[in-house]
Amino acid sequence: MKKSIKFLSLLILSVIILSSFAGLSGCSLNGSDNKDEILIGVLAPFSGSNTYFGNDMYQSYELAIDEINAAGGILGKQLKLYKGDDAGDPSVATTAAAKIISQGVDFVVGGYASGATIPTLQQFYDAKLIMLISCANSTQITSLGLNQTFMVNSPGTHAVVTLTSLCKSLGVSKIALIHQGDSYSKDLSDLCEAELPKSGFEIATVQVMEEGAADVSAIVTTIKNSGADFVYWCAYPPDGSNVIKQLRRGDYTGVIAVGDGSASVELIEGCGSDGEGVYVTSPPFVEFAEGGEKFVDDYKAKFDMDPGTYATLCYDTIYMLKQAIEKAGTLKMEKVRDAIQDIEYKGLSGVKKFTPEREPEISNFIILQIKDGKFTLVNP
Amino acid sequence: MSLSEVALQQLINGLILGSFYALIALGYSMVYGIIKLLNFAHGDIYMTGAFACLSVFGVLSVIIPGPGGIICSIIAAMIIAGILGYLAQRFAYRPLLGAPRLSLLITAIGVSLVIYNFIMVITNGKASYFESGLDNSAGVHIGDIKITYIQIVLIAVSALLMIGLTLFIGQTMTGKAMRAIALDQDTCRLMGINVNKIIGITFIIGSALAAIAGGLACVYYGNVQYSMGYTMGIKAFTSAVIGGIGSIPGAMLGGLLLGLLEAVGTQFLTYLGLSGSAWKDVFAFGILILILILKPNGLLGKSEIERM
Repeated sequence: MKKSIKFLSLLILSVIILSSFAGLSGCSLNGSDNKDEILIGVLAPFSGSNTYFGNDMYQSYELAIDEINAAGGILGKQLKLYKGDDAGDPSVATTAAAKIISQGVDFVVGGYASGATIPTLQQFYDAKLIMLISCANSTQITSLGLNQTFMVNSPGTHAVVTLTSLCKSLGVSKIALIHQGDSYSKDLSDLCEAELPKSGFEIATVQVMEEGAADVSAIVTTIKNSGADFVYWCAYPPDGSNVIKQLRRGDYTGVIAVGDGSASVELIEGCGSDGEGVYVTSPPFVEFAEGGEKFVDDYKAKFDMDPGTYATLCYDTIYMLKQAIEKAGTLKMEKVRDAIQDIEYKGLSGVKKFTPEREPEISNFIILQIKDGKFTLVNP
Repeated sequence: MSLSEVALQQLINGLILGSFYALIALGYSMVYGIIKLLNFAHGDIYMTGAFACLSVFGVLSVIIPGPGGIICSIIAAMIIAGILGYLAQRFAYRPLLGAPRLSLLITAIGVSLVIYNFIMVITNGKASYFESGLDNSAGVHIGDIKITYIQIVLIAVSALLMIGLTLFIGQTMTGKAMRAIALDQDTCRLMGINVNKIIGITFIIGSALAAIAGGLACVYYGNVQYSMGYTMGIKAFTSAVIGGIGSIPGAMLGGLLLGLLEAVGTQFLTYLGLSGSAWKDVFAFGILILILILKPNGLLGKSEIERM
């Protein structure tokens, strides 16, 4: 008994010592100008149900980095990526973040699902790392108030503005919202519930679908009975396509729209013919971006597949970082952070400037509609 | 829609959902009844059945499209799931039959994780979509109430399966052996019953039923994903406990009851001004806790059930 306690305390002691070493090495390495390469940590889902998005994000970063490296790098330093798999899961994400930090990275990019991204942000902040969030856009990120965290994608508040204009142009009045209770979809739903009535719309009902639940017929009947002429799905595609199919099969005839989380070809694939006419408040799809053709060609040539929903935002994230580092002329965290704060960057996803809350100033949302099994642009 | 029409439509919704719960709950209940094991891998067998049906139909639909191909695919899924269930029983559970129940329970969780992660890795975590080619919207209208033809088939199939299983357990020699093993395994051995064989058959039947539910989910919902067995497994397990775990009619009753409570709860709570679907589990499980307080062994459970 005594022996085991001694062993245990030794073990704990050695873990503490080792981890403090890791912390020290992290401090001395990141933001240092003496290295000949810049290591960028990528926090994204490389396993679990959002693997597709994680891989697409990584490939977009890779494309940007290879281009920059071929052109001589940033400040003469070559860029390198380091994968951290958050699996779309908050508890896995914190481990992934610790792993990224222990590698002595200089910057962190990524962040797909808000739920998995938010718990890591304080870790990166404490490690004095700048985090550029390419996709996750819950307003909860802003409310953390961490001045090293920047949102490259437009936050949910911008989506609501776009949604309001869509509802106005369609002349609908009673809106039903469905979310799944996670950080992203609940946030979007809450924003809609708070903002849409200010523009004269009535919220008919708010329903919650369990993640992965097969049957939503009870929700469908409830929505039909609420008299809603517009349904907004706030969460992700596999479940979203299920909701759309069951709404249509339950003879729901109103307009259906989905949020940016569902803006992917997976939604079309999942809905089949029931998806026709569905609107999407979408992030900047590369097909509709100015100068996007070259990107699509390069991406296809390199990875033998089509770029995904967040490809432009991820690609822009790297180039924005490049612009900021070059302006700062150093890798020092404070200097680069200030350069990003004051940046005016023009890329595939439009012009990026940051508000004092480190959200993008200009919305990058667009409205798409599914027509003949394809996304088409409704308004620029 | 009038109030009565809404209520009726929600009852139909609940009945369909309940049929799925019931089909899967049967497997939980049979296995528990015979070897007192909570087979947590059962939800994953349901998921595997759905994937098997999807894959077989993908190949088969070229030769036999339409309902014929679907029926053949579901039969193939039953065979695949049956083999999987048997293998789990043979290699993971049987060696532990003499061990403490807790070891068996942990093994079941292990088997569940193995299947879950295996399917996640080979499907890359992506959802697949089942294209049956059938018209999912076609159906009969009674006023504003709609019942699709597929829903009618679904309820009929589940009802037939439940009747068939009841007859099988009640009327055949194998069924009699199952009931005997549930009472006393050692005496059964002394009476010359091949206990291991009967336990194997129980797993095969339970898994095949789960695979039928998986196949029907393919046709009816269309979405097939590695995580689909988790929620379904928990709900089916709940159904089995409510009905009285170990009791076959109890599993059916529990499944239908849970499905109905969820559907009706969603509507009822929305009338109260709440987000109905967010609170439906609170409503359904609140009532279920009440039932268990009044009838601790479940609705149709026997009082002499041995506790874990």
